[in-house]
Amino acid sequence: MKCLLIASESAEVLFHWTDPEFQQNVQEQYGASQEDGQGLPAFEDSISTLFAPIIISCSTMVDRLDDSYTSFTTENNHIYVLHQFDECLYIAVNGDGEEGEGDLRRKIYVMKKMLEVLFGMVTLSSNLLRKELRPQDTEQRARLWKFLQSLLETYSHLRENDQSFLVEAVERLIHPTLCEQCIEFLERRLVQQLNSSAERAGEEVMHAFILVHTKLLAFYSSRNASTLSTSDLLALVIMAQNMYPSNTDQDDPNPEDVESTSGSGPESFYTPEPSPTDGDSSSSGDKPVRGSTPVFEFVDPDVQMAEDSLQTLEVPPPDPSTPRRVFLEVSLKDGLYPMMPHSMYCLPLWPGITLVLLTKIPTSAVAMSVYTFLEAFAKLEKRLSDGQEGSAATRGQRTIHEVRSKLDKFIKALGPSEIQSGQLQRDWTEFKNLAFTRGGLGFSRHLIPSCKKMKTQLCGVYRQCFLLEARQSDVPQRLSPGLQERAQTMVQEKLMDWKDFLLVKSRRNITMVSYLEDFPGLIHFICVDRSTGQMIAPSLNLTERNTSELGKGPLARFIKSKVWGLVNTTRRYLQKGYSTVTLRDGDFYFCYFLWFENESGFKLEAGDIPILPDDSAPIGMLAWDYYRKLLRYYSKNHQGEVVKCYELLTVHLGVIPAEIILQHCRQLASKLWEPSRNPLL
Amino acid sequence: MTEFMQPDSRRCNYFFLYDGSKVKGEGDPTREGICYFYPEETPLDEQELLCGQLAGASRCVSELSSSPVRILRLRRNNFSIRMKDDFFWALGCSVEVPTISVCELLDQLINLFCFYSGSVRRSYQLNTQETLARRWAQYLSHLESASSELHHIFSCLRTIDSTNIDPLLLLKAALILQACQRCPLVSAGCILFRGRVVSTQMSPELTMKVMVHESETYAKMQAQRSNGPSAFSSFGGAVSSTSVFLTMSELQYLQSAPVDKHFSSRSTPHKNTPPRKTRLSRTLSDTPSPESEPSDTGSSQSPQKVSLSPHLSDSSVFSPDPSQSAADPPPQQLEPPFSNGKHSPVAEEEVLEESYYHSFHSNGDGVGPMHDEGDGSLCGEDSHRNGGGGDGDAACGTVFESQGDNVLEEVSGGGCGDVQCHEAEIPDPPRSGAFDSQEECPRIPMTLYLHRVKGLVLALLVEPHFLSDKDSMEEVYHSSLASLNGLEAHLRTISPGAPGTPGPYIFAHFDCIQSTLTTNLSGRPGGAPQRPFVRATSLLHSHFCNTETLQEAIIRSAGAAVYGTRSVAQETYFQQHGGSLRNSGIPNHQDSAFSLPGKARHRLLKHGVNLL
Repeated sequence: MKCLLIASESAEVLFHWTDPEFQQNVQEQYGASQEDGQGLPAFEDSISTLFAPIIISCSTMVDRLDDSYTSFTTENNHIYVLHQFDECLYIAVNGDGEEGEGDLRRKIYVMKKMLEVLFGMVTLSSNLLRKELRPQDTEQRARLWKFLQSLLETYSHLRENDQSFLVEAVERLIHPTLCEQCIEFLERRLVQQLNSSAERAGEEVMHAFILVHTKLLAFYSSRNASTLSTSDLLALVIMAQNMYPSNTDQDDPNPEDVESTSGSGPESFYTPEPSPTDGDSSSSGDKPVRGSTPVFEFVDPDVQMAEDSLQTLEVPPPDPSTPRRVFLEVSLKDGLYPMMPHSMYCLPLWPGITLVLLTKIPTSAVAMSVYTFLEAFAKLEKRLSDGQEGSAATRGQRTIHEVRSKLDKFIKALGPSEIQSGQLQRDWTEFKNLAFTRGGLGFSRHLIPSCKKMKTQLCGVYRQCFLLEARQSDVPQRLSPGLQERAQTMVQEKLMDWKDFLLVKSRRNITMVSYLEDFPGLIHFICVDRSTGQMIAPSLNLTERNTSELGKGPLARFIKSKVWGLVNTTRRYLQKGYSTVTLRDGDFYFCYFLWFENESGFKLEAGDIPILPDDSAPIGMLAWDYYRKLLRYYSKNHQGEVVKCYELLTVHLGVIPAEIILQHCRQLASKLWEPSRNPLL
Repeated sequence: MTEFMQPDSRRCNYFFLYDGSKVKGEGDPTREGICYFYPEETPLDEQELLCGQLAGASRCVSELSSSPVRILRLRRNNFSIRMKDDFFWALGCSVEVPTISVCELLDQLINLFCFYSGSVRRSYQLNTQETLARRWAQYLSHLESASSELHHIFSCLRTIDSTNIDPLLLLKAALILQACQRCPLVSAGCILFRGRVVSTQMSPELTMKVMVHESETYAKMQAQRSNGPSAFSSFGGAVSSTSVFLTMSELQYLQSAPVDKHFSSRSTPHKNTPPRKTRLSRTLSDTPSPESEPSDTGSSQSPQKVSLSPHLSDSSVFSPDPSQSAADPPPQQLEPPFSNGKHSPVAEEEVLEESYYHSFHSNGDGVGPMHDEGDGSLCGEDSHRNGGGGDGDAACGTVFESQGDNVLEEVSGGGCGDVQCHEAEIPDPPRSGAFDSQEECPRIPMTLYLHRVKGLVLALLVEPHFLSDKDSMEEVYHSSLASLNGLEAHLRTISPGAPGTPGPYIFAHFDCIQSTLTTNLSGRPGGAPQRPFVRATSLLHSHFCNTETLQEAIIRSAGAAVYGTRSVAQETYFQQHGGSLRNSGIPNHQDSAFSLPGKARHRLLKHGVNLL
């Protein structure tokens, strides 16, 4: 019984996702309380009615006690986790014991991350976000929600089955020669050719990468691109997986259909309901690409149910070459710019293998300006509400006068374009009148509402530029379909001979067999380089067809559950400041180590790790980059040094003496990163 | 990012009991439903807000999940919740206290209340809110009085430091308790010294409950002593009693205790039948006065007893008048109602309960609750008391039910007469139904008897009519008095001893079976080196509680490495001071953290903790 709900402060449902069990439960309850023969009201209404008291109570608590609910646990172990971001309340529910409080909190944060990737700075204005999440048009709403629901399901599936999403780090295919060749190919041939083509319509390819299922084969960033953060990369992998799911780690429902000799099994695509080209950005570009003949297979009953709950839509197929608008973090010399607009092209090469291109769009400079202004107004508002006035309130990196002249220019520049900036102009004039003229109030508390207005208007302009624009214009900005096709063919040609190998390799990237001789008694390990956001671990595929070294069936599943549990446990200790944990649990001995090194591999002394409250953001890299903050915190005492952070988790047989286990860990730690020292990322 | 937690000596921030049945209608103000709120000085507005919101939101969640809410977290407080009938309890602690401990604390609190007051609903029908508020406050402050932060994590019994004490004294204490059990009206007991357990025959939970009353009477006694030297060691002054309510399972546990009553009865003839003689021969201070009744009537400590004893001692089996003793049960029933106008309601209730219980015994198997009679009668009594025979069990069940009825009868009837209530032993159908459905687990009234000798207390759980049974009472009193005096004298001379001769390490050893904690950590909170240890212990304890298969763990932060290990019966935590904590955090078998298990095994042996 699972559910995730986003509600506004007025208890309006902005989004919901439920599994069939939860839906049934709600319907039963609603039916029971409304037995006056009027029939079941729409599901959305019932869910909103049932949750409304909790939502309202939540905002009462915030208003009057300045405290809020973070979770409820019932005697039959149903867990409700609540978290408020600005004016949106997220509620995640689990009633089947599969997810703990931490998992649910993580899910909430991941949902928020996905919304940021999809809607960018619009998420900074609750009012605009509400409009985006809950379009008036019910068809459009149904389409959007279905898309978000399937994203959430894809994420949940990956978190439960994929080790890289368990620890939230990217897993690369370990094949140095091939990887290097591919990177070179991406750099010298593909990206160069694309960026020099006239058909790119002003877009510039910044990053290109090839995914084999969820694993990274090659990643190339152009020279003038900023690094793609692990958080964004993981989010993009989820989106790619959502478009072209690989069912490798799902149990195949018809084993007899399966041609198992290749080891790769059948690959099939699930394509979400297509959406109209003229429609919203959220559902465009989901279609698999011509040239391949994917098997359409759809078996997930959860998704089926979720779909049934929505209206069936008859919509024309989208233009497959329309990219998806994504908002990613860009770090430039003069600062960090979150949520900058990019276009994401997801080109399937073969089932399970995908080429992803990320381009910078020509108007992205507008986004930077908007962000700069937003930041300035937010800072001003904060200072004013802290009680600072006059020059104290305007002190900062950018003087308010600088902002003033820049914003004047910005509005002027917007004037002739199609963007409706009239209201922005009016609010800005009002702000200037209040703040700068002699008769005005100057910089005092009275300016706060004006600051808020300006922020909303700026978000509105941003929304027009990067969300509506993309949907409305008849000829969308994009790499031409022909160019996309060429790119696809080029990479297909390059990888043709490797295709099958890659599919097998992705499933058995590294195996325990190669470690058994050196490390007798070692059952499993995961090693993560948190500075680069990469992980390495023996495969744990638990399908009926594929046997890992752990064998198959209950034992393998048991060990898998132990590994998943261990990661959760160690995160809990890390949250409370413990960087070394060893546990003797049943017949197993678990170890966890986190340590810091400098660039030359010198082990740095263990330092203080901050102690976080229970309801803090989840430890990981996808939704909230804990490790980036940890590295920054640690680096304070190591100025001028590049600090790297590593984690090692091991599972040993309990009968092995602890001393030997620790020796193993030591050797493993030094051995693991050797082959990957080559510059793959 | 850094939010270091502030140590807080008070673990409970909020506690309230909210009665939803009082706030049903639209216009009903929330305050009507607030039965008790801690801290009491909280503005009523805030009380209403918290009660209303928490109870409302929890109800909503419970309906969605069709199960009551157990834990509710706010950002700054963790609440343990109990929802039963229309009552809503919430206990809020700071987020540092492990959730599992908060839940335990709330359960303890509610159980304590029920132990001394019986059903909550009934208590609120019978008593004023103020009276009951005082009780909640008392129980809460008792549970809060735990001396150290470790006690906030483990809900443990405070015991005397057994390493400091001659084992013979512990043996002696155990013997005193066993001797008391020879009286068949005595179920089990414990001996406490200055608020710490010396020896107990009861489960840790029950012992903990008994200790609350002990600390209360101790406080009273202290107050009296400061007022002036009142009758301290006279029978009345030293002995007190209160009625308590046990759950079925607690009673079964008590009855299943291996007490060999046969043996005791056989041994009594040469030890206890001429008890007065032995007693006299043993203690010089023991003048023959105990055998005379005036000391009873003169007692001012327990009013209920005063008012009861003259009458009930008449009908007692141990009464010297043979004719009365032989015809004991019937006459009592046939006796006309005596005036009880002077009794306080509580006392009255006790009279009735006692007499019902008594009459059950008399009616049930036709054997009086006597132990000096023939073997046969004792057998009957034994099998009944120990729940040995199937008949006995069944009988018990029925009696408890009818007991409930009587109690209710009494509640509604106010000052009904004795006979009238005896008649009410025939269940009153409508009422009994209502009552039983409310009470999930029926609680069985018993009496807690306390005999204090200065700092030492003998606490016994006895059958309710023990108080009316003057001979039994005297016998228990006098047979234990000398030994108690002796024990007290010995215990007093033992210096409390600084428990934590602080070594180069800290440890805490929790015995889950006996609920006892051994530690060398001083009780004073907030010692700088202790904080990391307490924090780690709290985390590990929660982990142990949630993961059944977890046996041992070492966790290390920058400041400290703590080793925890547990078995079915115990949990042990160990931290070594000093040593070089400088390490890189990379796996290294020479790291001092990984030698903790060995050191713990070695070091703790001398504290009587065996980790092998």
